[in-house]
Amino acid sequence: MIELRNVSFSYEGSADRALDDVCLSIAPGEFVGVIGPAGAGKTTLMHTLSGIVPHVRRGEFFGAANVAGLDTITSTVAEMSKTVGCVFQDVESQFVTTMVEDEILFALENFSIPRDEIPKRVDRALSDLDIADLRSRSLSSLSGGQKQKVALAAALALSPSVLAFDEATGELDPASSVQVFALLSQLRRERNTTIIVVEQKIMLLSAFADRLIVMDQGRVAIDGPVRQTLERPGRLLELGVNCPRVTTLAARLRDKGLYQGAPPINLDEAEVMARGILR
Amino acid sequence: MTEMVRLSNVSYSIESHVLINGVSLRVDKGEFVALAGENGAGKSTLLKLIMGLIKPSDGDILIEGTSTRRQKVSTLARSVGYLFQNPDRQLFGATIRQELTFGLDFLGVSKDDGERRVNETLELLNLNPDRAPTSLSRGERQRVALASLFVRRPTLLLLDEPTTGLDYRECSQMMNQVAALNRESGVTVLMITHDMEVALDFSERMMVLSEGKLIADGATRSVMRDETSLRRASLVPAQMVALAQRLGLAPGEADDAESLADWIADNARGGADDARHS
Ligand SMILES: Nc1ncnc2c1ncn2[C@@H]1O[C@H](COP(=O)(O)OP(=O)(O)OP(=O)(O)O)[C@@H](O)[C@H]1O
Ligand SMILES: Nc1ncnc2c1ncn2[C@@H]1O[C@H](COP(=O)(O)OP(=O)(O)OP(=O)(O)O)[C@@H](O)[C@H]1O
Ligand SMILES: [Mg+2]
Ligand SMILES: [Mg+2]
Repeated sequence: MIELRNVSFSYEGSADRALDDVCLSIAPGEFVGVIGPAGAGKTTLMHTLSGIVPHVRRGEFFGAANVAGLDTITSTVAEMSKTVGCVFQDVESQFVTTMVEDEILFALENFSIPRDEIPKRVDRALSDLDIADLRSRSLSSLSGGQKQKVALAAALALSPSVLAFDEATGELDPASSVQVFALLSQLRRERNTTIIVVEQKIMLLSAFADRLIVMDQGRVAIDGPVRQTLERPGRLLELGVNCPRVTTLAARLRDKGLYQGAPPINLDEAEVMARGILR
Repeated sequence: MTEMVRLSNVSYSIESHVLINGVSLRVDKGEFVALAGENGAGKSTLLKLIMGLIKPSDGDILIEGTSTRRQKVSTLARSVGYLFQNPDRQLFGATIRQELTFGLDFLGVSKDDGERRVNETLELLNLNPDRAPTSLSRGERQRVALASLFVRRPTLLLLDEPTTGLDYRECSQMMNQVAALNRESGVTVLMITHDMEVALDFSERMMVLSEGKLIADGATRSVMRDETSLRRASLVPAQMVALAQRLGLAPGEADDAESLADWIADNARGGADDARHS
């Protein structure tokens, strides 16, 4: 579904490579988490998938990127955006209207969704994110997290074949973050949506994603199944990435000679691990 | 303990929307308090009220004994530092040094004293004075914003989601610096956060706001076990607190990975204790 071959990119006026020889292959229906320190190139990678790099954010681009059969270099950003639903770090700069409902409507109308289907999609997106009560509010009156929910609702309403989120849940309350990740899991299950999310909350990535990519200095430093990646917390920490607390607990128990199994990735698994040791 | 902030039955409405509904609370000098709650609960609004940027529709807010109604924001800004939910809106200088120096003379700080404070702060927060704030990563910009508050020597810091968008390293740096200011200079900290791990690691006390009402207020580790309040306010407890609770530990008995691992070892099947009991 996503294929990057030796992609390197330097922003105009900069000698540094924001992406440095990135190779990546993501199958349809995969749920991929991307993490890494500030400046690692995570946003640049997401912009490459949507064609914003190099069409809007210009610079020197090498290699080839193909998303859902579209070559990102020969396709326009408008074409790409019908296949790849993006939500970016700074939601406010993404808004094109002033009202909550209009923002979602605009996306749907613009992407030639059949007329009679539009109201249903708007309702669904609003209720999926629990913001039906905000429907006729102005965007500027919303709280930070509420704005983020509107941007997420607009992207989900389109149900594109690829969803690419760049730290799109940063201002959400804990239960809403979990809810958004659960929605993504559901989309993947029901429609085989390919999901790639940049996220600093490692606990969410480990609980929901099946594959973890750690970026560092424009490169893919680690790329592997979540559980396998969490087995080397030392390596992650070197790259400035922490482990979920349940994984740290497993490592401590391993040090004490009390646990030999795979690291738990969520609370339920951690409880099973602990009960297996306790009398 | 001396009182830093007191809210008595504070409400705030815009037209017919009630954003803050009868909130009473008190924060003492030197405390480190986390404020959590669902999106739209009114957390940012509450901070703006305390900062005096907006005035209560009802009730009163006292900062060190003086009502925010009777003080100008510029007077309050001498003792209260406010970090916005999006700090980019509060960075104006061309260089970090300019950013920090900006407005100090306005506060009546002498040139020498100002320079000393700026240099101290640059060193403390490990910042390069000549870089432009716009060329920095989000984490660095966040720390510049914190620095520009700190040079004013505030007695109260109001932080609105200070770690959002920061990577793990930046988040630890930022929080350790806030903790150091709190510990070493006795700055009172009131911090909004959605990160329950950060709240657990750094705050002694946690307040929970939901639909404009204060629904919980107590020791962080106890509040995190108050399932009813957490559910109402869309909160999920820190992982180790949740696990300790599932395993039947008392609040505070062990709620970080190290002490929980120790507790599990002490109570392990075939462990030292087991031999003693049998
Ligand atoms: N418009 C730009 N012009 C020049 N350099 C840029 C531009 N945008 C990003 N960069 C640089 O490219 C590199 C990668 O940036 P990118 O935004 O992709 O990182 P990131 O991993 O998303 O970081 P963060 O966690 O802060 O969002 C960084 O060194 C950054 O300074
Ligand atoms: N002009 C307005 N008219 C109606 N409601 C408003 C207006 N301005 C703000 N609100 C509402 O007030 C509530 C409180 O907003 P506030 O920004 O304080 O929330 P918050 O707890 O900080 O949320 P978040 O976690 O998302 O930042 C929100 O529901 C918001 O939509
Ligand atoms: Mg980024
Ligand atoms: Mg807020």
